[in-house]
Amino acid sequence: MHQPHVVGAGMTRFAAHDRPLAELFGEAAVSALDDASLGTDAIEAFYLGNAMGGQIENASHLAPQLASHIGLAGIPCQRFEDACATSSNAFKHAVQAVESGRHDAVLVGGVERCTPETGLDTAEMTTQFATAMHELYEQPVGLSFPGVFGLLTDRHMHEYGTTEEQLAEVAVKNHFHGSLNPDAQHGREITVEEVLDSPVVASPFRLYDCCPFSDGASAVVVANESVAETARDQGADEPIAVQGVGHATDVVPIADKVDPGATQAARDAAEQAYDAAGIGPGDVDVVELHDCFTGAEILATEALGFFEAGEGGPAAAEGRTRLGGELPVNPSGGLKAKGHPIGATGTAQIVELVTQLRGAAGERQVEDAQVGLAHNLGGDTATTLVSVLEAGA
Amino acid sequence: MTDRDPQPDGGHPAGATDPTYAEWRQHLWEDQVLLGQRCHDCGHATAAPKAACAQCGSRSIERIDLSPEGEVYARTRIEIAPAEFDGPYTVALVDLGEARVLARLTGEREIGESVTLTDVYEGDLGPAPVFG
Repeated sequence: MHQPHVVGAGMTRFAAHDRPLAELFGEAAVSALDDASLGTDAIEAFYLGNAMGGQIENASHLAPQLASHIGLAGIPCQRFEDACATSSNAFKHAVQAVESGRHDAVLVGGVERCTPETGLDTAEMTTQFATAMHELYEQPVGLSFPGVFGLLTDRHMHEYGTTEEQLAEVAVKNHFHGSLNPDAQHGREITVEEVLDSPVVASPFRLYDCCPFSDGASAVVVANESVAETARDQGADEPIAVQGVGHATDVVPIADKVDPGATQAARDAAEQAYDAAGIGPGDVDVVELHDCFTGAEILATEALGFFEAGEGGPAAAEGRTRLGGELPVNPSGGLKAKGHPIGATGTAQIVELVTQLRGAAGERQVEDAQVGLAHNLGGDTATTLVSVLEAGA
Repeated sequence: MTDRDPQPDGGHPAGATDPTYAEWRQHLWEDQVLLGQRCHDCGHATAAPKAACAQCGSRSIERIDLSPEGEVYARTRIEIAPAEFDGPYTVALVDLGEARVLARLTGEREIGESVTLTDVYEGDLGPAPVFG
């Protein structure tokens, strides 16, 4: 067994990008390779996350196309699709390929264009996203993705007394973090009042409770200890060890989940990742998690074991998850402020953790960050991947 | 009998769904009846028929008529709707006792309030139960 490391990381700014997928992905991929001080000859496989290119861009079979664009044609290339958890699943496979000795180094990343500026309008894109829920028993009802998490959050508010103000505090925090991240789509701070005054998208969520439509790409190089040493010798920054990746699914549709608000797949994936890393939630210093909506962040902080059931809302409102708090959550701004180009989101979380664990995050640096956790969720909470990364290991 | 043999109640080969989606849709549309399934092995019931039990994997499952009465489990008011739909409208998880179903909800209803299957929404993507 080999010890997988992330040896290079790169991403585009998340925003509206009027550039083809290949150019967008090329920027992130080349940036990751350069960060690793490795040439394309070191890369033995390429795993791509792209959720919806076939639906919204008339672009499928993208892995060899994008590999060719960056000089990687010839090696095994594969595209992954798992809704919003797409590139975390690609990352898992890269980690496993390196761990098992199948490959010494793998390029893994994701790309997606979802903004109205480069593609479809809001109603059409809402339809495209809804294709990730049950075709027969969810889509015909007219449920949207804000609605999926609206249902889960409505129930959480009922059971635990979570308030709209606590939801708004999550948005305010993540916008503050985004204001410190030059790669974030939303760099402007907002107030609780602005959130509560914004129009309802799907109750209890208002516009500012929702992540934006985004274009963007991200990529990392996963390599074994030998390649990591070569990269270090050639001038790369510190390699960051991948200590565990958990991956679990839950029943589709939502109505059949035993306790929908538990987001059981997140709990199962977290348990796997914690066990593999030999740590518990109390050992984590920095978290990038799937805050597609403010309520999703509260559910996730509880599912990952950071707070007791019902404590996620108060914890956010008290600043415990803010930079400078006991456990900074989404220092990048998260999906909420950094942006959410579906297939690029998972590996972008890894990019942020690597940056934090190297101590290179500038104004948004989490102090003494040694252990980082990423939580990436797909579909109606049907898929979740949790990854644990560690510096100096 | 192996689990690959046809089910003894006839007609449906192993791996097929009983009821099929066509039957589920027809019963909802024509009779306003929600078909479901119950697992013989673990008792799990569902309003979304499958080839095997989603909880325990058993293929020993029977077709049932679900109750038209239930309680609101969770709600969301959809203001920004997918392109095929005209918002706003309310979508809810309704607890029918042994299974939950995703449905349209009419009127202002609280979580825990009793509701009844009153209508069927006929959208471009298929029928959906309406509770009120």
